[in-house]
Amino acid sequence: MQSVTWKMGGEAGYGIMSSGTMLCRTFSRLGYHVLATNEYPSLIRGGHNLITVRIATQEFASLNKDVHILVALNKETVDLHKEELTKGAILLFDPKDHTWQATDFSKEMQLVAVPLADIVSEHKGDPVMRNTVALGATVALLGTDFSAIESVIRDQFKRKGQEVIDNNIAIAKAGYDHIKTNFTNQSSMFLSKGEKKEPFLVINGSEAVGVGAVRAGLKFAAIYPMTPINSVITFLADHAKELQLVYKQPEDEIAGINMAIGASIGGVRSMVATSGGGFALMVEGLSLAGILEVPLVIDLGMRPGPATGMPTWTGQGELQFAIHAGHGEFPRIILAPGDIQEAYSLTVDAFNLADRYQVPVFILTDKYLNESQWCAPKSHFQKDVATNRGKLVKEEELATDGSFGRYSLETDDGVSSRSLPGMKNGFYIANSYEHDEQGYTTELADLAAAMAQKRLSKLVAIQKVGGAPTVYGERDSEITFVAWGSTKGPILEAMKLLGSKGKKSKLIHFTWLFPFPTEEVTKLLSPVTRLVDVELNTTAQLAFLIREHTGISITEKILQCNGRMLYPEEIVERISKVT
Amino acid sequence: MPSITADSFKTSFLPTWCPGCGDFGIWMSLKNALANLGIGSDDGFLVYGIGCHGNMQDWMKIYGARGLHGRALPVAQGIKLANHKLPVICITGDGDCLGEGGNHLIHAAKRNPDITVIIHDNQVYGLTTGQASPTAQPGFKTKSTPTGATDTPINPLTLGLTAGATFIARGFAGDTPGLTDLMQRAISHKGFSVLDVLQPCVTFDKVHTYGWYRQRLYQLDKEGYVPDNKIKAFEKALEWGDKIPIGIFYKEDRPTSEEVEPALTGAPLKDLPLTVSNIDGLLSEFI
Repeated sequence: MQSVTWKMGGEAGYGIMSSGTMLCRTFSRLGYHVLATNEYPSLIRGGHNLITVRIATQEFASLNKDVHILVALNKETVDLHKEELTKGAILLFDPKDHTWQATDFSKEMQLVAVPLADIVSEHKGDPVMRNTVALGATVALLGTDFSAIESVIRDQFKRKGQEVIDNNIAIAKAGYDHIKTNFTNQSSMFLSKGEKKEPFLVINGSEAVGVGAVRAGLKFAAIYPMTPINSVITFLADHAKELQLVYKQPEDEIAGINMAIGASIGGVRSMVATSGGGFALMVEGLSLAGILEVPLVIDLGMRPGPATGMPTWTGQGELQFAIHAGHGEFPRIILAPGDIQEAYSLTVDAFNLADRYQVPVFILTDKYLNESQWCAPKSHFQKDVATNRGKLVKEEELATDGSFGRYSLETDDGVSSRSLPGMKNGFYIANSYEHDEQGYTTELADLAAAMAQKRLSKLVAIQKVGGAPTVYGERDSEITFVAWGSTKGPILEAMKLLGSKGKKSKLIHFTWLFPFPTEEVTKLLSPVTRLVDVELNTTAQLAFLIREHTGISITEKILQCNGRMLYPEEIVERISKVT
Repeated sequence: MPSITADSFKTSFLPTWCPGCGDFGIWMSLKNALANLGIGSDDGFLVYGIGCHGNMQDWMKIYGARGLHGRALPVAQGIKLANHKLPVICITGDGDCLGEGGNHLIHAAKRNPDITVIIHDNQVYGLTTGQASPTAQPGFKTKSTPTGATDTPINPLTLGLTAGATFIARGFAGDTPGLTDLMQRAISHKGFSVLDVLQPCVTFDKVHTYGWYRQRLYQLDKEGYVPDNKIKAFEKALEWGDKIPIGIFYKEDRPTSEEVEPALTGAPLKDLPLTVSNIDGLLSEFI
């Protein structure tokens, strides 16, 4: 097989998510491309949890609908997912849960019964370790040596001690041996050799944002826990000591953004991360960052709202919210990564842009990007990172006559020089009231207008460095997709499917959304005859933005607001319907 | 170098407070306290809230930030963590930090940052022309409580004690020398200091005047009170009526939120390099 999709389902609390990660690591280390996506309800135990892992010899951008192996840790998993299985797929199950027969399925199935619970109890393991048996069995089904997963188990449990490691290895080996002994002819899912040459990371989107942030020199983060950005908290808190940074858990998101603003005034690169509901609380603070002209990075991980909505699912409903959030008018920058490498790179960019223009910069991520495990070349994360702190002055550059104006109106781009508290001759007040050049309160008509203009004029300067959308695919295409953020992967895969049917298509993908790159977008979109907007929201927020700035109206839309990422097949199917 | 005096903080702006406002006494005491401690315009950081108290920033030449209503304390904690060598003082009011920002006061006290919070406590919202504040005493008639306040007032001292503040004191805006001394002690204390300052609002409160306070206030230390016991501090903090205590109610040593941060053992965060020294090690956990 060149590509295998494996699912494991069962009750929450049975190590389903970590099984997916371990499987990804195992095959990534062997040279395969991997991607794992989780689906789970908002609770800790019970409910239905699911992880889907795609393993392939060649690079790919998203899951597809074919499922080749289903590992069922309970009966419900089969009931819910049996229709997704391809013809000839393997169902790995514990006969203690339910005795499945060929006649239970509409398609031809390979039934692989493994006594998961019995193997665990034979090895005196905890009942939750049935997943470990299944992982061992999976490695055998994919035709790989057991040693591949052994090293991953060692790394996974190294903090828990040798006894736990040994026990897990023994239980996984028993699962592996069970397949080798009882299913000697089972080779239908054996993978061809992986073709990756260099080392790859297996990392989720939220962690990639964290790595980007620390590479950019993040020193302070105040993040109130919220799905789907919790991984960045774990990452930063785990590395606070070695990376010499402070992660603070605030009492709420209001405190979080105000702390981050305080730290930024103090002179460090700081960030917050949250989802829609938490960001709603931060809106007042965003406006404060706006008038204080404080560099600030906001990782806004989207999930379906309104209100609590569906906390553990994905969506793209906050683009217009991020653009318009905050009372009063002030500039901001909004970036949205489409994949794991962009999540890292755009985070680095966000810190430089925030410092360079002294504005809040958003990284719009989502649950799918943040919580899926992706693989990407390690070298991408290792490259030298350029840092630009903009017009941050050094103490010795400050005039000794006390003339320094932190909010000086004499600028070519709206950005004034910034001193730090404690610097001799750099005195100013970061004042939430409208203020003069040193930060003293003012209500003078001309001065107030000049300050507002100064701040807003940054947008013109930012627009000059703003990124045009990236075009993927064939030049002369009959279909042009328009999208932003993480729908990129499924669209790229859909384009391959369309190509195989003889339909040429391309994707105009936005990672830089605000200030809107009007000129470039007008040039790109004007000659196109058939534009199809793809978004995970109900109101086509990108299409709305494009029309607002270019006058170009996109009438064909593929929208989805059910908390799920689109499959490439669904995009193709909906394209056919649109035609 | 010229020595630091109260005049060192002079700006070209004159106070806009009502003549006789308690804010004058607090302002004067603060300038004296800073000068006595050798903290000049470039050596400390003041975070102001929104309210009459916050207007002080325009006639106070020292690095500062004027935050949003109720949000001074989170800003103060952020700057303290970015530069833990910098003395940080929070100038706030009863509405600012007991109403809008009450949650932040509780959590700041719990963390124990080395920050002093000075609460301008006059039971009334002056800037919005006279509504009841969270400390308004029962029966107090204001524009928002025309028949008299009915709620139990918030007591900043007992609140601070319960939440974990390590220095709790109360001063009086009409006693500049006494208040200066309390401020110096609060700022010098290593940990979260809550200093509640009783002040008359001469415009919107005709009851709690300087005279009203002077008749009732007494100094704790003159009675031989030792501020080392939380239970006794509670008893004293609950006293209100014919006799109202001022002075230091409670003091303890506990590691500050900066001291427990592994990254803050040396130079301030702001002076650390942006680069990660061991990228390979950092990335190895993702292989």
